[in-house]
Amino acid sequence: MFIKYRLLWGGLFHKKLRLLLSVIGIIIGVSSLLLMNSFGESAKLKTLKEIETFGPEVIMVVAGSVRVHGGRAIQTEITTTLKPDDAEALRKVKGIKYLSPVFNGDAIVRYLGNNLTTIINGVNEEYILIRKFPLAEGRNFLKDEIFGYKKVAILGYKVKNQLFGNEDPMGKIILINKLPFRVIGVLAPIGIDASNADQDDQILIPWSVALSALYNVDYIRSIYLSVESLEEISFIEKQINEILLKRHKVSERNKDFQIIKAEDILEVKTQTTKLFSSLVKSISILCLLVGALGVTAIMTLSVNERKKEIGIRKALGAEDRDILLQFLMESIFITLLGGIIGVLVGVAGSLILLPLFNYPLVFPWSPILISSFLTIIFGIIAGIYPAYKATKIDPIILLRQGF
Amino acid sequence: MVKKLVILKGITKTYYTGRIAYQVLRGIDLEVEEGEFLAIMGVSGSGKSTLLNIIGLLDKPDYGTYILDGQEVSKLSKKELAYIRNRKIGFVFQAFHLVPWATALENVLMPLLYRGNLKKEDEERALQFLTRLGLEKRINAKPSELSGGEQQRVAIARALITKPKLLLADEPTGNLDSKSSQEVMKIFKELNKNGLTIIMVTHDPEIAKFAQRIKIIKDGIFVEE
Ligand SMILES: Nc1ncnc2c1ncn2[C@@H]1O[C@H](COP(=O)(O)OP(=O)(O)OP(=O)(O)O)[C@@H](O)[C@H]1O
Ligand SMILES: [Mg+2]
Repeated sequence: MFIKYRLLWGGLFHKKLRLLLSVIGIIIGVSSLLLMNSFGESAKLKTLKEIETFGPEVIMVVAGSVRVHGGRAIQTEITTTLKPDDAEALRKVKGIKYLSPVFNGDAIVRYLGNNLTTIINGVNEEYILIRKFPLAEGRNFLKDEIFGYKKVAILGYKVKNQLFGNEDPMGKIILINKLPFRVIGVLAPIGIDASNADQDDQILIPWSVALSALYNVDYIRSIYLSVESLEEISFIEKQINEILLKRHKVSERNKDFQIIKAEDILEVKTQTTKLFSSLVKSISILCLLVGALGVTAIMTLSVNERKKEIGIRKALGAEDRDILLQFLMESIFITLLGGIIGVLVGVAGSLILLPLFNYPLVFPWSPILISSFLTIIFGIIAGIYPAYKATKIDPIILLRQGF
Repeated sequence: MVKKLVILKGITKTYYTGRIAYQVLRGIDLEVEEGEFLAIMGVSGSGKSTLLNIIGLLDKPDYGTYILDGQEVSKLSKKELAYIRNRKIGFVFQAFHLVPWATALENVLMPLLYRGNLKKEDEERALQFLTRLGLEKRINAKPSELSGGEQQRVAIARALITKPKLLLADEPTGNLDSKSSQEVMKIFKELNKNGLTIIMVTHDPEIAKFAQRIKIIKDGIFVEE
């Protein structure tokens, strides 16, 4: 019945500005908590997606000394000591499934009137198996094409669209740095991989052609390989290291190559994500705590102001429990109201800000649950002290002079 | 035989401010029969409000026995006292003590909130009381929009809604002009005629005249009848 709730809750809505202020504190706390949490979730998802294109069974041998920076392997100087023979030499290591030398460089590509600059990756027929790049159409390289210096090309999805539009590219001749290549395949859309490279913006050609005809070098930049079983990956890594040290006649300290596994990249990435999210989480919980403290302060003020009301209620037969419940409910109501609005603001914020920062869009279910749960807990905690204070008010004050 | 509603024997109460003890009540004996209208008079500071607090179960005496409506109440728990206050006692205060944000009607209904469910009949009954006290046009007014006399009539309606056996009034006309005071006392007189027991504190002899019996308290003890 309506009047019953008026009698119980009327005092809360009496001072609207004050109610608004205490609710705003909670809104800020809850919405920031939710926003930060959904950024955290989204960042996790982003890392996972990136890692997918660089499986845990993949090992990369990169020429030169390499730093892993923000999940990205950066070659600090050009090293010419990694040769195709090194790649061949690694084939004797047991447990390697696929192996491909890689030379990458820029090139201007042309088809009829269309020009563009893209990345050329000189690889062998095993490369797309290592990277698990699916073909949208056409076929993979043949072994003979690799060793026969055949000018054939597999196009990245974007490159194909930009050069050919809706035209069928199969069998067509494109010019890469003015040399004619025949298109034999097109990769399906892949997106950005763990090294932040757009894998749709590339062209694959035989490494032999890349080295001799296109770039005129005798070295490669890296070797990609995948292993049969994950358990042996550390052992295989060790063997690769030993073979290359021996072949290059260098010691561990001044070696001219680096071995990188998906695990290494993942580790750096999750570490930064973890640090970021724990920092952000503690800040937003602090926000909520401040909001809750605000509720405590405002409710305590309100209890002090409403001493007379509390005394009257007690004189009229309210038990301590009734008073405790009333004021506890008022605090919980404030935090809940702030919580609901905060969740709405936070969800709206996430849906707007995530795409803006290039994060995958996730609907923040678990952040919503977490923030709602925390809000209720904080609401109860915020309300305990003022509600307890309210029960301590003695109705004998009502008969005192001047009250 | 007429039933005794209030029996006080040897009630004492001492207040401590810091280390200084001040004995406000020094052995109060009092018997009030059902249907009586008693006025308690005395100078300021003589202990009238303290005594009324004890009779109204808002405060506990240090010593003495208090039997209300046949029940020894000095050893009851806070919860039980709240229950008896709600069922048996109505209060009217000098300063009215209405809840400021609630309307006249809501203030009248407030005691019933602590009786469990508020029913539609309760609302009608509250309206009846307010109408009987001439407030039918003011039911949705807040206390700040009401005159002193009107506020006190709302407070009386609030005291009566629970059908109490005992009405306690501490200087009910203390903040009212003489016209409103007369009105309030006429209401009291009427209620008493219908069987309500009233204990009223006042230091105005004109007001005390409305009662059947007057007791005078001096320095915490009754002096003469
Ligand atoms: N809680 C308290 N602590 C200390 N002293 C108190 C307390 N309550 C009342 N007193 C003192 O007890 C004495 C009696 O107070 P009481 O309010 O009963 O007097 P009263 O007869 O109602 O006076 P008045 O006519 O002014 O209302 C006063 O001196 C008052 O200061
Ligand atoms: Mg007094």
